[in-house]
Amino acid sequence: MISPVKIWRNQQHFTKLIGKTGIIVSWTMIRVPPDGFSEQAPYPLAIVRLDDGTHVTAQVVDWDISQLHSKQKMITVLRRTIETTADGVIPYGIKVKPI
Amino acid sequence: MNITVAGIGMTKFGELWAASPRWLASEAVHRAIEDSGMEKKSIQGLFVANMLSGMLGMQGHLGALFAEELGLSGVPAYTVEGACASGGLAIHAGMMSILSGQYDTVLVLGVEKMTDHKPELVSSALMGAGSNEERLTGATFPGLYAMLARSHMEKYGTTEKQLAAVSVKNHFHASFNPLAQFTHPITIDTVLKSSCVADPLKLLDCSPVTDGAAAVILTKKVMRASSGVQIIASQIATDTLGLSGRKSLTELAATKIAAKKAFQQAGVEINDIDCAEVHDCFTIAEILAIEDIGFGNKGEVGPRMEKGVYTLGTAARVVVNSSGGLKGCGHPIGATGVKQIVEITNQLRGACGKRQVKNAKCGLAHNVGGTGATAVVHILKK
Repeated sequence: MISPVKIWRNQQHFTKLIGKTGIIVSWTMIRVPPDGFSEQAPYPLAIVRLDDGTHVTAQVVDWDISQLHSKQKMITVLRRTIETTADGVIPYGIKVKPI
Repeated sequence: MNITVAGIGMTKFGELWAASPRWLASEAVHRAIEDSGMEKKSIQGLFVANMLSGMLGMQGHLGALFAEELGLSGVPAYTVEGACASGGLAIHAGMMSILSGQYDTVLVLGVEKMTDHKPELVSSALMGAGSNEERLTGATFPGLYAMLARSHMEKYGTTEKQLAAVSVKNHFHASFNPLAQFTHPITIDTVLKSSCVADPLKLLDCSPVTDGAAAVILTKKVMRASSGVQIIASQIATDTLGLSGRKSLTELAATKIAAKKAFQQAGVEINDIDCAEVHDCFTIAEILAIEDIGFGNKGEVGPRMEKGVYTLGTAARVVVNSSGGLKGCGHPIGATGVKQIVEITNQLRGACGKRQVKNAKCGLAHNVGGTGATAVVHILKK
């Protein structure tokens, strides 16, 4: 379980990460998920090189299989991440979407 | 810096439902003490390598716990954690404690109990070795290594068949190791047809979930010639916790640094190494390890793997993972780095039976934590 305080603290940083574009450097399809992600599996995961040269590891959303390849252009978006725990806090995080 | 490996011992690796962590530890240590011919009272320090006990078993404070279990209460005891490199780090810490002049003889114990818990929980706990960013994405270790594999395939043309050849080799070696988790040989076809875990990695590209323990007694005392295997280099390097901080996805920089420093420290060349235990948590990891240590050039190791260049009995210049590696012998996280020292010591003693590397005089052990955030390299000689 992730502490609600930790969720709140992490989310302070997300606003400056939204709407950034970049390209896929590598990707995979997670077919055996960790605890808290069962409902989403299978889901693609990618390492994206953003235009500023930094990298981000993120889940891919709104994808089509033809878009899962290196050099595919992506944009960072805000999405729900792990399943909500007993605390009822909905954890949000950065994911990436093909454009 | 020469430190003698005075005694070695390990349990059977596998799904050991009836075995508790205490039993595993006792069994491995009992064998190591018996092997050393020393008395238990000569042990002056205990270093325990473990990663998951706190997260899965809610049990911390393993130094005191195992000191009590082993009848060593009163002896200084530590827990060393560095994810899958915990074992290698504990060996290093044990050596440093001797070199500091504080102790003459220490016991290093690697132990992990994994099969008590459901796979999703084990998978989540293992992600403790990654970064917070990676955990929040639903990444798994097979997934992170799969992305390393894909980068390697795109840059060097490495194929799924070449990856599968790593698994086939390590199962073949494990078939000669009675303590290995898997003692049945497999074929390329079996690997390629196994279910996909994280594309392009399939089930048989991945090391298993394993229970097991391994123990090593280190001493600065001069031992009898028959067991005179020495550790002549011990080096550690670190890198960013997560993959997004790396400059390259086709190498593990920590392995390169630790290996380079270890060869310098030992005063030996890459060609002097007869046998190596490398960290094959996934098939791609063994290819990266062989390249980054320097046994083969970038991009050439995949094709060579398929030709059997690193396989026992093939006039190999260096036999890689004679124990079966993490893939064939099993991967009880904290025990793995210690088990590698056990295997290399056995090879240098000429005590490996059917999996003996002929005239093995010098060996190397390579242990990785996470996706290469920690790498530990040891060089041993007889």
